[in-house]
Amino acid sequence: MTHSQAHDLSLYAVETISLSKRYGKTDALRELNFTVDEGEIMVILGPNGSGKTTLLMTLCTILKPSSGTAKVMGIDVVKDGTKVREVMGIAFQEARGFWRHKPSSILKFHASMFDIDPVKRQDLIEQTMKDLELWESRDKLFMHLSGGQAKRLETAKILVQRPKLAIFDEPTSQVDLRGKRKIWDKILELRKQGSTIIVATNEVREAEYLADRVTILYGGRLIVRDSIPKLKDAIAGGDVVEVGFEDPVPGKLLEGLKTLGGTFTVSPGGDQLRANVSKAEDWVPRMTSASYNMGAKISTIKITEPSLDDVFLHFTGKGLVDNQ
Amino acid sequence: MSEFSRLVHIARTDFSYFFRTKWLMAILISLNVSDMLVTGLVYKGLVGFDYFRFLVPGIVVMGLFSAATDTGRRIWLALREGVVQYYMTLPVRTSGLVAAYIISGGLGGIVYSGLLLIIAFVAIPPQGILNAILLLPFLFILATGIAGLAAFFASISRVGEIYWVYAQALQVSLVTISTIFYPASTISQYLPAPIVTIAEYNPLSLAAGALRDSAFGGSALSTGVVSNLLMVSLPLAGIGALAYWIILRTIRVRGKP
Repeated sequence: MTHSQAHDLSLYAVETISLSKRYGKTDALRELNFTVDEGEIMVILGPNGSGKTTLLMTLCTILKPSSGTAKVMGIDVVKDGTKVREVMGIAFQEARGFWRHKPSSILKFHASMFDIDPVKRQDLIEQTMKDLELWESRDKLFMHLSGGQAKRLETAKILVQRPKLAIFDEPTSQVDLRGKRKIWDKILELRKQGSTIIVATNEVREAEYLADRVTILYGGRLIVRDSIPKLKDAIAGGDVVEVGFEDPVPGKLLEGLKTLGGTFTVSPGGDQLRANVSKAEDWVPRMTSASYNMGAKISTIKITEPSLDDVFLHFTGKGLVDNQ
Repeated sequence: MSEFSRLVHIARTDFSYFFRTKWLMAILISLNVSDMLVTGLVYKGLVGFDYFRFLVPGIVVMGLFSAATDTGRRIWLALREGVVQYYMTLPVRTSGLVAAYIISGGLGGIVYSGLLLIIAFVAIPPQGILNAILLLPFLFILATGIAGLAAFFASISRVGEIYWVYAQALQVSLVTISTIFYPASTISQYLPAPIVTIAEYNPLSLAAGALRDSAFGGSALSTGVVSNLLMVSLPLAGIGALAYWIILRTIRVRGKP
């Protein structure tokens, strides 16, 4: 289902209206209006303390909101928590397991709680453990697993469950690079199987790999929500275009480029131009056309997009990484 | 799977933890038993068959107490390790989780005291064995209450050591001021009358008394004894259930116990 179709039916996988959560004197969430469409991967990006985990804990009914409402698949998380829990699953930021149980028995317990077909259950568990490279550790107790293994087991629970709404809270923290890629691919696969997915993270690479849309949370407030390209486009002068010319750039061309928007600098040698523009895909064809008309030969063009960290900096005034 | 099946499954999983720390329980009970034997030797003349008949029901009840309070230790760990929060994401109502913990805590108490009873069966007449079996459901209710209290203390203990302080306080209140190991007549020689009354109506005292009279003494199991035990155990179980409920509610509001 496309975003617009979901809106037409007024059906969101997740919808919060003026959702607030207060711990003592601290506002963890402030009047949050947030939606996730069915079938999409929504990445919630924010530094530690931005309210990501509080939002997820509220959606999975562990936390009761201080005010406002939250619905999962149209079901109110406060009024009908049990039904919400039937359709969603969460992989916690800190792995939660029975310390003296083996990974397979933890997964069996989880699968049985969510009515996974007993006939298929064992195969599904075995395959998931193999996919996430947990099979070798099948005889270890949970308390003897490494941080990365425990984290992968946390993800495995949701992969076995295949809920309508799957929530992952920093799914690859403590996981090595190879493991990260595996987890990301399994999350994408889960979406293909029909799950709506929310991923909370402060890792830019993770967000870029997974997100259909990104929500930036900061100080318990929703700062902005959109697809990554649109967020990047929203930064004025966000794209960097480096153009190499075979000869020094003629002054006439520089005058002409000024009319195309953006700002640019020319190298001391005069044959390298660096432009900061809003949309490189619009600016580059017009620049090449102007250059051709004035007989300036282009040797190289390099386009650099702003990172999500730049996006975060643009909208919050603070760096994502610096805040961690 | 129905919600009832789910809560039974949770109770079973939680209860299975009990067997995964069986050596800890064995140590606790052996410590208690050795204490009792030393006490028996100090009060010379107590170590005889009569004292054995008096002591063994006390040890059985002590086992029930130790096992039920071990629930608190397990819940302290489960709260800190996030297992309780994990349970809260499962499709079971809060009341179902409370019931699961109640069942698990009660089972822990009853299994240990039941094992001790089986050992003691060699010295119990056949009618006594039947009476002991009939008493088990009432002991179960008592165990759920103690487990609930222990769980409550676990929830308000920020560090493990503090939990043991509460557990010891509970032990002093319920075990020391009781007729588990000493008859009321002995207590009355050293302590004021109100304490003796408290000791006599202490639920653990009533449980030990019921075992002494009906299982080891061979008397018929009287409804009076059973109803007294029930009267003091049920409120305790209610308090235990309320304690569990408060823990879960606190997590929902504050995000932590």
